[in-house]
Amino acid sequence: MTVVRYFAAAAEASGCDEEIWDEPVATVGELRAGLVARYGEPMSRVLSTGSFLVDGMVSRDPSRAVGERVDVLPPFAGG
Amino acid sequence: MASSVDPDSPRFLRQRVLAGFGADGQRALAGATVLVIGAGGVGSAVIPALAAAGVGTIAIIDDDTVEASNLSRQTIHGVADIGRPKVDSAADAVARLSPDTVVVRHSVRFAEKNSFELLLDANLLIDCSDNIATRYIANDAAEIRGIPMVWGSASRYNGQVGVAWDEKGVDYRDLFPEQADDDGSLSCELVGVLPTVCVVIGAMMANEAIKLITGIGAPLIGRVVSFDALSGTTREISYARNPDGPRPGSLEERTAIREPDPDLAVTPTKLAQLLAGPTTAGIHETPPLLLDVREASEASFVSLPGSVLIPLGQLPDRLAELDSLLPSRNASIVVYCHHGVRSARALELLENAGFTRVRHLTGGIDAWRVQVDPEMAAY
Repeated sequence: MTVVRYFAAAAEASGCDEEIWDEPVATVGELRAGLVARYGEPMSRVLSTGSFLVDGMVSRDPSRAVGERVDVLPPFAGG
Repeated sequence: MASSVDPDSPRFLRQRVLAGFGADGQRALAGATVLVIGAGGVGSAVIPALAAAGVGTIAIIDDDTVEASNLSRQTIHGVADIGRPKVDSAADAVARLSPDTVVVRHSVRFAEKNSFELLLDANLLIDCSDNIATRYIANDAAEIRGIPMVWGSASRYNGQVGVAWDEKGVDYRDLFPEQADDDGSLSCELVGVLPTVCVVIGAMMANEAIKLITGIGAPLIGRVVSFDALSGTTREISYARNPDGPRPGSLEERTAIREPDPDLAVTPTKLAQLLAGPTTAGIHETPPLLLDVREASEASFVSLPGSVLIPLGQLPDRLAELDSLLPSRNASIVVYCHHGVRSARALELLENAGFTRVRHLTGGIDAWRVQVDPEMAAY
């Protein structure tokens, strides 16, 4: 079971702060695809620049196994 | 210029009495030099907080002038400051709160070429900049310099705060490895920002800065705080070092001790002889190509004359440039960096690419300074 947490623009795209991902996904790549399928263009934009932290470590390898917790976090630059 | 902030001043009474903070904490603040990038919305919260708390020296870098649209959130500037350089009105704000704090004004943009020099005197870097490119330059410069960086961003209704400190295990690239292309959506200029988000984020950053300077508490290392103004909540994301992440230098580089191998390494004294050419007694080879594999910011600060700069991270993609400078891959090359660790990695890389006569400078440019050229600037 994977808990996906959404931050900032990712939370706006999903409409929630976190959810238990109820579809079977084995890899980071599958989860990314699932997120885009579920939340469309806004989530796709977040994922293009944002970080995907799997159990607290940035993962850019789509073949990596998903863990217990995935954090979706966009960078932003305003000061 | 030494600061004249008096740590025993009655101004600081309420914090000096804090258990764990005390006179020692106050002295640490008075002795600190911080470099703040950006005197905008977040900087407007950070700079007065640090000045009033008794930080001895605050260097402020910002190349912007005050505009009317800044004033809703950039509260160290007032209506009368419109058109003035932000560093000037920020310095005035500091002087009102703490006339004995030394303010160093840099009315320029923080860039790779000046980053290293700007950081030479700083104990702590605080990045309140409004663009993502500066964040990466700041992260890398602080990492090479070996000091912590407090960073924060505010955009729309959200903010993020963290501390990057390579020596303690993580930096900004462990959270966001590569710079994202900013189509404008990452910055508050196009998407807007709630002024109070800047205040919250700036206050949290000043809090981290005071903790790092005084040594109290647990800094936000390996944890980023995400603030959501609409729900009024903060959440924490913990993260660890990404071993595959790109980085400009590393703890290993600053601490490694390596035994020189004469076929692979050359001492500074020997290199000086080699560069003097075949006329020098006992030297029969043509001078080697000098390859500098440090970052551009380091090279612009100080480098060996006649060297070619290709930062280590770019070396695999830029071998053709080396070929264009050499008669063949059997020609002699001496690679150098700051202390001789990046150059060892470059040496391995070049050997694997078929370069046959590669050596690297033992102890790097720092050892050259000690043994060959004491006039050379140190960093």
